[in-house]
Amino acid sequence: MKRLRTLLLLALCAAPALHAAAFDDAMKAVAAHNDAAALPLFEKALNEDPDSLPFSNEYRRAVIRTKEYDRAIDFYGKLTAAHPQAPFAWLNYGYTYVDKIPDAGSITQVILANNALTNFSKSIELKKSWIALYTRGNSYLYWPKIFGRAPLGVADLEAAVAMAKAEVKKRKVYVRAWIALGDGYWKTEQAEKAKATWREGLQLFPGDPQLQARLARDGEELEKYIYDQLDPNKRVDTNLAPLWEE
Amino acid sequence: MRIFLFSLLLAAVPLAAQEAKPSPPIRFEEISEKAGARLMHHTRVFHGKGADVLGMFTSGGASVAVGDFDGDGDDDLFVTDSDAGKPCHLLRNEFHPTGKLTFTDVTREAGVDGGNDPKSIVADAVWLDADNDGRRDLLVARFGTPILYRNLGNGKFKDVSKEAGLTKFGNTIAAIAFDYDNDGRLDLLLGNYFPPVNLIDLPTPHVLPNNLDDAVNGGGVTLWHNVTAPGSGKIRFVEVTEKAGLAGHTGWTLDLGHGDLNNDGWQDIYLADDYGTDRLYLNNGDGTFRDATKQALGGLDTKKGMNVDIADYDRDGWLDVYVTNITDEYMKECNMLWHNNGDGTFTDLSKETGTCNTLWGWAAKFGDFDNDGWEDLFAVDGLRSASKENYIPVLLEMIITPNIDFTDVNNWPAIGKMSWSGYQRKKLFRNLGTQAFKEMAAEAGIDNDLDGRGIALADFDDDGHLDIYQTNANQNSLLYHNVSASAGHWIELKLIGTKSNRDAIGARATLKAGGGVMIREVNGGNGYAGQSTARLHFGLGKAAAIDSLEIRWPSGRIEKVTVPIDKVTTIKEGAGVVK
Repeated sequence: MKRLRTLLLLALCAAPALHAAAFDDAMKAVAAHNDAAALPLFEKALNEDPDSLPFSNEYRRAVIRTKEYDRAIDFYGKLTAAHPQAPFAWLNYGYTYVDKIPDAGSITQVILANNALTNFSKSIELKKSWIALYTRGNSYLYWPKIFGRAPLGVADLEAAVAMAKAEVKKRKVYVRAWIALGDGYWKTEQAEKAKATWREGLQLFPGDPQLQARLARDGEELEKYIYDQLDPNKRVDTNLAPLWEE
Repeated sequence: MRIFLFSLLLAAVPLAAQEAKPSPPIRFEEISEKAGARLMHHTRVFHGKGADVLGMFTSGGASVAVGDFDGDGDDDLFVTDSDAGKPCHLLRNEFHPTGKLTFTDVTREAGVDGGNDPKSIVADAVWLDADNDGRRDLLVARFGTPILYRNLGNGKFKDVSKEAGLTKFGNTIAAIAFDYDNDGRLDLLLGNYFPPVNLIDLPTPHVLPNNLDDAVNGGGVTLWHNVTAPGSGKIRFVEVTEKAGLAGHTGWTLDLGHGDLNNDGWQDIYLADDYGTDRLYLNNGDGTFRDATKQALGGLDTKKGMNVDIADYDRDGWLDVYVTNITDEYMKECNMLWHNNGDGTFTDLSKETGTCNTLWGWAAKFGDFDNDGWEDLFAVDGLRSASKENYIPVLLEMIITPNIDFTDVNNWPAIGKMSWSGYQRKKLFRNLGTQAFKEMAAEAGIDNDLDGRGIALADFDDDGHLDIYQTNANQNSLLYHNVSASAGHWIELKLIGTKSNRDAIGARATLKAGGGVMIREVNGGNGYAGQSTARLHFGLGKAAAIDSLEIRWPSGRIEKVTVPIDKVTTIKEGAGVVK
């Protein structure tokens, strides 16, 4: 619980940094639809505040729009080398690989996904945050069954759900952990646990459409739905703004 | 009494089953053994360091080419083998004159058994009348130099490769014959997989793809212009790859397809490349091609292109392109059904039409198997069926190793007895005529789980139904006799060029019947490891008569002809129906 609070505090405390001049200029460039000009400004801001989730988030969104994935991967490589103790820099380093996956070929996707996991793990080593545990756990679920990574995902997601449960205020974003944990149980052939997890999630987050969609399906229809959700060719939503926008 | 009752019961079971389950619209019977056409393929066994990996990378070579080599009116078979010393096979169809669908192996007397010498591997074959003498010659493509056999007309062939100028080494895996400059002579386009190094005598271990989704270190293609002097009896080719604008392509070409994609009377080409970057080249009509990939297809793909077949599946008057890729336990690529929009662009409709997933795809061919007027699609799949142990997790460890050099044979883990995307069921997509296909291979009796490679379609017994010959890597081939209840009448056309190339490859027939239009083009070997019949087959569906039939010859001549239905008709350029 304390860790989760720390994470949220960190995220929220990043707000003052939003006034960093470079970040402000970057956002102006984004507003002017000039992502190419925004990228170096975001990088400058991140060099000043490498662990800022909002800075990284806006930077990666611009990277996705411009498809400058390799530039971002190179940037985070240097940023984490310069700031090896910055957990959220590592986390966003991982996200940068994830962001590139839908635009890559099927074998490169595997390489990118593996690189992402390496960086998520580094982030967790430094700080066992809810967002990092959820992210790594969810990432494991995208791997085909044959690679046997789903149980690792379940372990991470159980930890993420436990952290969220311990939190007094149930932030909407936590529902993702219940969704993913259910998917993890389903993928590890624990269908009843999956449904129980989704039901529990729905009690805590009434009306959540993703949980409702899963609980409304069964058998092959549910399988198709989940595989469709975990299709590596579809872009994964790595926008972290819900962490601090709520 | 009891016995009688029991017999009645037994007799009633199939009747009840029949009533409950109507016969499928498409149905095949596998008759390869009965017809004397079952042949075992052997992949090349390598020796020394990297042998296991090279064997895995060269697990093709099981191909089939259909052509009437003896001019007796029925289609014969040439089936390749690949291991050292193993002969290829020429199977003569005995349907004419015996009336029985059986084949006789005439390889030795014909003299076409060679090719798998210690440093060369046979990979593909294509029939073509290279000298327009009315006898189809045979090109055998190899990881090595190609072999061109001239048909002497007495059941024998002569190797004329050297005289013909075909002495350039290449790791050729695909070959098509077509007349790219419409000069009346058939040219050759060879698709080369590896870069041009002899895999059996490796000068370097760095011979594998430099990128597994976007490789640019493959063998590309070579284009050979036929410059045979008419009547000389001496076949001659010269390489024009660079001159034609194709030298810049350096991908891992796995298959080739040709067709007039923009309806301008010139044959265009589509190259399916393994490890990414398929290419579409449009014919400029002046002996050169332009790369139209980005404009036509919307960019460069990263998929594992395995097969190209070309047909107008939706009968809109524009040829479409079907490419198989890999959709498997870890690669979710989906195939590509490039719908020709008629404006220079194509849209991939494989998901929308239900033709996306053929697992580890290899050959796929369009054909109207039930004569309903719509071209269906048969696709084979499966890489390697061996033990229960799966190679993929072993391979993964190599793939995710940081900074690994994929080009180095020594970096790839040995596969040993492991399976890799094996035991996969074949797919038959029935064209419903509504931009949708229905998969029905099991119902049709054609869902075998062998390691399929090539397909050739032909009506081997003139019954108006397209049969299928399927080759399999390291396994027996199959011959599927089409026993479908016909949904309609049919016609088959044998075209003979005079000013155009004699095989009439590139000729287009446009048929109007029942308010619809169908087009077919004679092709010279489209589809991975398989050349289908040169006859054009049309199912007529509900139409009882043909409203019009027009032939556009490669020479540009257009002829309107009248042909009888439910018959095979021969049409000669400038002379109309001759038989």
